[in-house]
Amino acid sequence: MIRKILAFSIALIFIFPIFFLITSSFKNNIDLFSLPPKLFLFDIDFSAYERVFGFSKLLKFDPSYGELYLTSRILDSLIVGIGSSSLTLIIGIYAGYYFSRANFKYKNFLIMSILSARMMPLISIAIPLYFVYEKINLLDTYVGLILIHTFINLPLAVLLLKSFFDEVPKQIDENAFIDGASKIKILHKLIIPCAKGGIAVTFILSIIFSWTEFICALMIGQMKIKTIPIQASIMKTIPSWDMMAAFTTISIIPVFIMILIVRKHFVRGLTLGTVKE
Amino acid sequence: MAAQKSYSLPSFMNSDSSLPWLLPLITMLIVFAIIPFFYNIYLSFHEFVPAKRALLFVGWDNWIRLFTDGVFWGSLKVSLYYTFMCLLIQLVLGMGIALLIDSDDPGFGIIRSILTLTLVIPPAIAGMIFLIMEDANYGLIPWLLKSVGLIGPEDTILADPTLALWGVMIVDIWQWTPFMVLILVAGLRSLPSEPFESAVIDGARPFQVFRRLTLPMLHKVIAVAILIRGIDLWRMVDYVFVLTSGGPGTATYTLSLYSWQRFTFVQWGYGATISLFSLIVILIVGNAFIHFAKVKW
Repeated sequence: MIRKILAFSIALIFIFPIFFLITSSFKNNIDLFSLPPKLFLFDIDFSAYERVFGFSKLLKFDPSYGELYLTSRILDSLIVGIGSSSLTLIIGIYAGYYFSRANFKYKNFLIMSILSARMMPLISIAIPLYFVYEKINLLDTYVGLILIHTFINLPLAVLLLKSFFDEVPKQIDENAFIDGASKIKILHKLIIPCAKGGIAVTFILSIIFSWTEFICALMIGQMKIKTIPIQASIMKTIPSWDMMAAFTTISIIPVFIMILIVRKHFVRGLTLGTVKE
Repeated sequence: MAAQKSYSLPSFMNSDSSLPWLLPLITMLIVFAIIPFFYNIYLSFHEFVPAKRALLFVGWDNWIRLFTDGVFWGSLKVSLYYTFMCLLIQLVLGMGIALLIDSDDPGFGIIRSILTLTLVIPPAIAGMIFLIMEDANYGLIPWLLKSVGLIGPEDTILADPTLALWGVMIVDIWQWTPFMVLILVAGLRSLPSEPFESAVIDGARPFQVFRRLTLPMLHKVIAVAILIRGIDLWRMVDYVFVLTSGGPGTATYTLSLYSWQRFTFVQWGYGATISLFSLIVILIVGNAFIHFAKVKW
């Protein structure tokens, strides 16, 4: 019993900043700055949400702050997230399946290369890529950001998918192969349906990691494309806590929903397929 | 060849050319890892010269500047300190909490779900949450610390050269301790129960069981957790960007942030040199760690 109380109080500490954030977004400017903070008893106020979405036509923004149309920020994040995750999946499925089934000379070397790619400080990719993108006009485009996020998520996708394919019995492909099916057909018709749960998990985790990525989105997106973390970093110059809180509350809801779907496989995703829950 | 046969993999794949299966992956690795790596080397020997409005060859200048630049050494120290301290605190806290909630009771399952939530918050957003909570005048955390007398009434957290880094680290510890907890719990849950039962029968004390049984059996899981967390701590930039922008002064510059900041000051070559240094360090340390800790994929 003591153990349970202790565990729940620890969970409370970890959940508290999120709770604090969400309540702050509904506070008016007086409750927001009161110390000790009003955690439960405060007047609920939706004005921050109206301003964050740009609904409130009456309120003129100071041009130096810029206008905050959260819907377009969420759209940017979704386009980049879904686009890059789809591309990651296509590349990852073929590579992951091959890694799972075949044995070849450079297998270990390639896996180490993939892990080394996971280690790269993203700034060391972003600076050279900025110049390359500048030359081929990919700066500030969805395609440019989708490509770099695809690369960032590839180590996760390849190694995670490999671990999911490893769980599909090899007997299945061997029997089908003896029956005369082509290898690509075996993958498409037999293996992918068997591993579709794992593929969905990989897809959602890739979206989450694209959603949270910061430095590449900052340098490749410039004026037109701002993903949610970039908008957050700009917003700290706006001294309006309720807007900050409303903005962050809305921007974390999609990832919370996604993570609750894949919770059972989250640890496996975080450890690139090595630790299973 | 004999060693390869012992894997007993289906032979039908081995006869195949690997190229069609792996070509997209290898292309991505070349375009986004190999080319940027060599471009970085190229940039580290060049610098943008404002007078001529061009990127010119400067020889070893950037590297000499790197090793004589006090701000660079400061940021290296910050990165090292940040990585080691956060890793240590998160591992110890994570292990403690993991042992606490390692149970079949469904109530603990809810706790694990709750702990998952912090991990998916974009770090920049987590920084924003703590920016509000650590505000010098109206923030909750300074108010709490002042109430219990840990800091003086005039002290601030994020504007104080010695406290600012801890103000950043607290966010990392809050957000990523659950990472350790979840991985370690998954490891603990997968351990067989027989050795533990017989140890209890033999009268071993809990601490002995932990040192002699749990830790060695969790070795692989702990190594993976340290590797992945270490990589992400070393390249962390989001928190300092949002919370302090490297300040006060240069007290919280990490290597990645300093590199980014030089880049925005149009010192492209020098910025690239810093990022290249950080890249080489993590590649050597990371691969050595994988080798010596015998982490297997």
